[in-house]
Amino acid sequence: MAKRNIGEINAGSMADIAFLLLIFFLVTTTMEVDAGIARNLPLKQDRIIDIPPVTEPDVLEISVNSKDELFVEDQRIQISELEEVSRSFYTINANGIVVDPTMPEHDLISLAQCQQKINYFQHELSLHPHNKIMARKLQKWEQKKSICQLYSSQSFYEISTMAIVKIDNQANTSFGIYIQIQNILKKVVNDLRQEKCTELGWGNYHELNEHTKQGKERLKQLRILVPERIIESKIEQ
Amino acid sequence: MGRFNQSKQKSIPAVNTSALPDIIFMLLFFFMVATTMKEVNLQVDIEKPTADQAVALEDKDNIDFLYIGFPTNAEHGTEPRIQLDDMLINDYHAIQEWKRSSIPQGRSILEVPTSFKVHKDVGMRTVSLAKEELREIDALKIIYSADKTE
Repeated sequence: MAKRNIGEINAGSMADIAFLLLIFFLVTTTMEVDAGIARNLPLKQDRIIDIPPVTEPDVLEISVNSKDELFVEDQRIQISELEEVSRSFYTINANGIVVDPTMPEHDLISLAQCQQKINYFQHELSLHPHNKIMARKLQKWEQKKSICQLYSSQSFYEISTMAIVKIDNQANTSFGIYIQIQNILKKVVNDLRQEKCTELGWGNYHELNEHTKQGKERLKQLRILVPERIIESKIEQ
Repeated sequence: MGRFNQSKQKSIPAVNTSALPDIIFMLLFFFMVATTMKEVNLQVDIEKPTADQAVALEDKDNIDFLYIGFPTNAEHGTEPRIQLDDMLINDYHAIQEWKRSSIPQGRSILEVPTSFKVHKDVGMRTVSLAKEELREIDALKIIYSADKTE
């Protein structure tokens, strides 16, 4: 068989091609990593079906004026103090005893109470199967029941379900200070959820995976144990 | 004189460049892996705030980016402006149309977050008005973009 002689391929322009591609990527891409704080906007007013009345101790009102000065319940504070204030909002009455009457109360939720509520809502749902509010409430109580079962006492203290943080901004309040506030609120909630995780032996909060069944369940339970409810008032024009 | 003639004939050996493409390819791959595509050409100046609780964004292709900052071109004034894709907008209502048209077929507007990239000195009035527009159409998931600090 005759050996055919294949000529050598000239790879001299290979470097040029690679350079071209390299320069293309250098120009069209950026090194920066995107990060951010995720939040949910409140539903549009007319979509909310039942707006419960909110009592004073259940609201932590943070207002910022146009000079970026911070006020909590009309008292001037420094941004460095906000973490402590918002932490005590969640924890000061945490054992059912009212230490500070201006902060939200905590209610003892017991297994028997959960079961009673579940029975009630199941009965209601069998009468009105399309009632979405009932269905949601039933779900909530089923989750609370599962939380009760986590503790040896078969009960836990839940922060008032109306407890809410309210941020009041002025037209000229800077976005920078707003993010600082959001960041602090996030930090407090993350820290408290981490404490719950440690208490329950779940390890690291940030490693809970939403895509596994167990992780999802635990995240839901943490959202009841340490709820994160923030509203903002509209800025007057 | 013969000595000089001899050295003239001796040429310098060529530098071996056969490894050059390999080196360049290596650099190329590094940049391909370590960087991300630019989303748009910014027409506003944005100095992002910092936050230690910020988390890296996942699934960037499914996030819409809304930019608020001070125009880089003096023709557009000095007031904060909103940029959507490649356009500076004058009317806040344009946000609704922009958000609706960005939702891929078969996905709900509730699932697609909007990332706010805002200069830290911008007043909350502009941000708040933009949020109201999104709230109007139930695009409730938002992400405040911030640089992560330790």
